[in-house]
Amino acid sequence: MSAKTILHIEDNEFNRKIVRDLLARTSYRLIEAADGESGVATAKRERPNLILADIQLPRMSGLDATRALRADPETAHIPIIVITSFALSGDDQKAREAGASHYLAKPYSPRELLEAVRRLAPEA
Amino acid sequence: MAPQEATPRADSVVPIAAPGSGLGDRTALFLLTRSPLGALVQWVARVPASIHAKLLCAFLLVVLLFFTMGAMSLDTISRMSRHSRLLDEAHKRVDSSRQVEHALAMQMNFTAMALLLKDETTIGKILRENNRFNSTLAQIDQAAPPEERDLIQRIRAAQDEALTSVADIANLLRDGEPDEAMKLQLASGYPLYERIEGLVGNLVKTEEHRMESLRESVTRADRRAMVLVGAFVGTSILLALALGFVISWSLILPVREAGGFLSAVSKGEFGATISVPNRDEFGALADHMNRMSVALHQLDEDQRQAARQLRALNEQLERASRAKSEFLASMSHELRTPMNAILGFTELLLDGTYGDVPEPLKQPLADIQTNGWHLLRLINDVLDLSKIEAGRMELSLVEYLVPDVVGTVQASLRSLAMEKGLEFRIQVPDDIPPAFGDAKRLTQCLLNLAGNAIKFTPSGRVVIQVERQGDQLLYRVSDTGIGIPKDQIENVFAEFRQADATIAREFGGTGLGLSLTKKFVELHGGRIWVESEVGRGSTFVFSIALRVEEAAPA
Repeated sequence: MSAKTILHIEDNEFNRKIVRDLLARTSYRLIEAADGESGVATAKRERPNLILADIQLPRMSGLDATRALRADPETAHIPIIVITSFALSGDDQKAREAGASHYLAKPYSPRELLEAVRRLAPEA
Repeated sequence: MAPQEATPRADSVVPIAAPGSGLGDRTALFLLTRSPLGALVQWVARVPASIHAKLLCAFLLVVLLFFTMGAMSLDTISRMSRHSRLLDEAHKRVDSSRQVEHALAMQMNFTAMALLLKDETTIGKILRENNRFNSTLAQIDQAAPPEERDLIQRIRAAQDEALTSVADIANLLRDGEPDEAMKLQLASGYPLYERIEGLVGNLVKTEEHRMESLRESVTRADRRAMVLVGAFVGTSILLALALGFVISWSLILPVREAGGFLSAVSKGEFGATISVPNRDEFGALADHMNRMSVALHQLDEDQRQAARQLRALNEQLERASRAKSEFLASMSHELRTPMNAILGFTELLLDGTYGDVPEPLKQPLADIQTNGWHLLRLINDVLDLSKIEAGRMELSLVEYLVPDVVGTVQASLRSLAMEKGLEFRIQVPDDIPPAFGDAKRLTQCLLNLAGNAIKFTPSGRVVIQVERQGDQLLYRVSDTGIGIPKDQIENVFAEFRQADATIAREFGGTGLGLSLTKKFVELHGGRIWVESEVGRGSTFVFSIALRVEEAAPA
C-alpha cells in the first residue's frame, strides 16, 4: 500500500514549514495549498487521505473550504483537521458544525498534531 | 423631519353628526342640514355663556311656557264657569218671567171665578197670586238691565191699577152688586189684564231673547278660548321640542367632534385639530384639546427624532463593536500565527527533528519555549479581557465533572508545586453530581488562582477544595503564602494590579489573571472573594451555580 497523502492548507510559509519538517521523517506524502480555493481544488484533484486546514485563509476560509469539501460526495469522506485561532469562543463549535473531524487550537504542539494525524490516517 | 407629518390633518376631524345610523340620527342630520334649526344650533353654540346658563335659560323658558299655559287654562275654566253661571241666571230669569205670566193668568182666572161665583173669598186667592206676581217681578227687577226696568215699571204700574180694580170689584161684590162688578171688570179690569198680559209677554220674550243671545256669545267665547288654548299648547310643545333639540345638539355636536378628535389622536394622528363654534365649556375644552394635540405632536416629533438619532447612534455603535470584534479576531489570529511558528520550531528542535541538540543549547531553547508560552498566555489574557470589555465574551456551557476540572488543574501545576517543595492537595467530595458551565473557563480560573497560590507561597501548602452548598458550588484555593495587606485587598481583582509593585518584579505574572477570573465567575452569575492575612496566607473562594442557567451570563 502506497504512502498516505496529507493536504496542508495554510497561508503562512513558516507554519507550512513546521508541518513539512514534522512529516519529513514519516511516510506521509505532503501536498500544500496557500489559500482556501486552491486548497479545495487540490483536494478534489489529489483526493488526499487527510486534510489540515487553517481556519483563517485568503480567498476562502477554512470553514467554507471544509463545507465545500463535505458537500462534494467525492471528498465528503476525507477527514479534516481544522486549526482554530481560539479567538472567539465557539470556534471549535463552528469547526464541528462545518464538518471538521477534529480541531486544534493555535498555537498547537507539533507533537499533538502528529498524534491527531496518525489517529485519523494511520501510517501505512 | 417630514413636512407632511407637521401639517395637522384637517380631514381627520369627524364631520357634523357623523354616525348616520338609526332613524333618530338621520332625522337629526336632516334637521341640522336642511332647516333653520341647524343655523340656530350654531348660533346657540356661539353664545358666549356657560352650558349651565344655557340649560338654565332653556329650562326657565319651558317652565315659563308651562306657567303661561296653566294660567291660560285656569282663566278659560273660570271664564267658562262664569258663562255657565250667567246662562243659569238667564235661565232662571226666563223661568221667573214665565211664572209672572202664570201668576197673571191665575189672577185673571180667579177674578173671573169671583165674578162668576159672586164669591168674595176668591178675591183672597187673587191677592195671593198678586203677591207671587210681585215678588217674582221684584226678583227679575233686581238684576234687570235698564231698558227692562222700564218695562217692569210699566207692568208694576198696570198691576197696581189692576189690583185697584180688583179691590173695587171685591167691594161691589160685597155690597151685593154683582152686575156693577161685572161691568167694572169688563170696562177696566179686563182691558188692564190684557195690557199687563201684553207687557209680561214682552218681558218673557225679552228674557228669552237675552238668554239666546247670551248662549250664542258664550258658545262663541268658549270656542275661541278652546282654540286659543289649543294653539298655545301646540306652539309651546313645538317650542319646547325645538329648544330641547337646539340645546342638546349644540352640546352633542362638540362632544361628537371631540370623540372624533380623540379617536384620531388615539390612532396616532397627533397633529389632529378640533374646531367647534362653541364659546362655552366645550369651546374651552376644544382649545385645551388643540393645545394638547400640538404638544403631543411636538412630543411625537421629538420622540421620533430621538428614536432616529438613537437608531443612528446604535448603528454606529454596532458598526464600531463589529469592527472591534473583527479586529480582535484577526489580531488574535495574526499574533498566534508567528507564536505558532516560534513554539512549533522550538518544539521540533527540542524533539530532535533537526538532529540532536548540542547540550549547551538545550537550556536556552527551553527558555525560549517557556517564555513563548508565557507570552502566549499574556496575549490570551489581553484578548480575553478585550472580549469581555467589548461584551463579546460568550461562555460555551457544557456538562462537566468537577473532579475532571480539578484534576486538569492538578496535573498542570503538580510539577511546579513539586519544584518549590510545596504540599499540593486536592479535596473534592465524591457525591458532587455532574455540573453545567463553561468547563474551559472554570479550569482557567482555578489555574489562575492555584498558579498564583503556588507562586506566592515560599513554603507550606496549597489546597484546592470544592464544596457543594445546595445548588451552589464553592471552589476554594487556600495557601500558606505571603498574604495580602488589608489596604491592598480591594485591588487584587483590578486589572494590571498586584498587591505590591515590587511583587511583580519578584514573582512575575501578568496581573490579569485575577481580574479575568473575577469576570469569568461573574459571567457565570457567581461571586468571588478573598480572605487573607499577611504572613499567614490567603484563601480565594468563588461560588457559582452547580448548573448555570443558559441566559445568566451578560
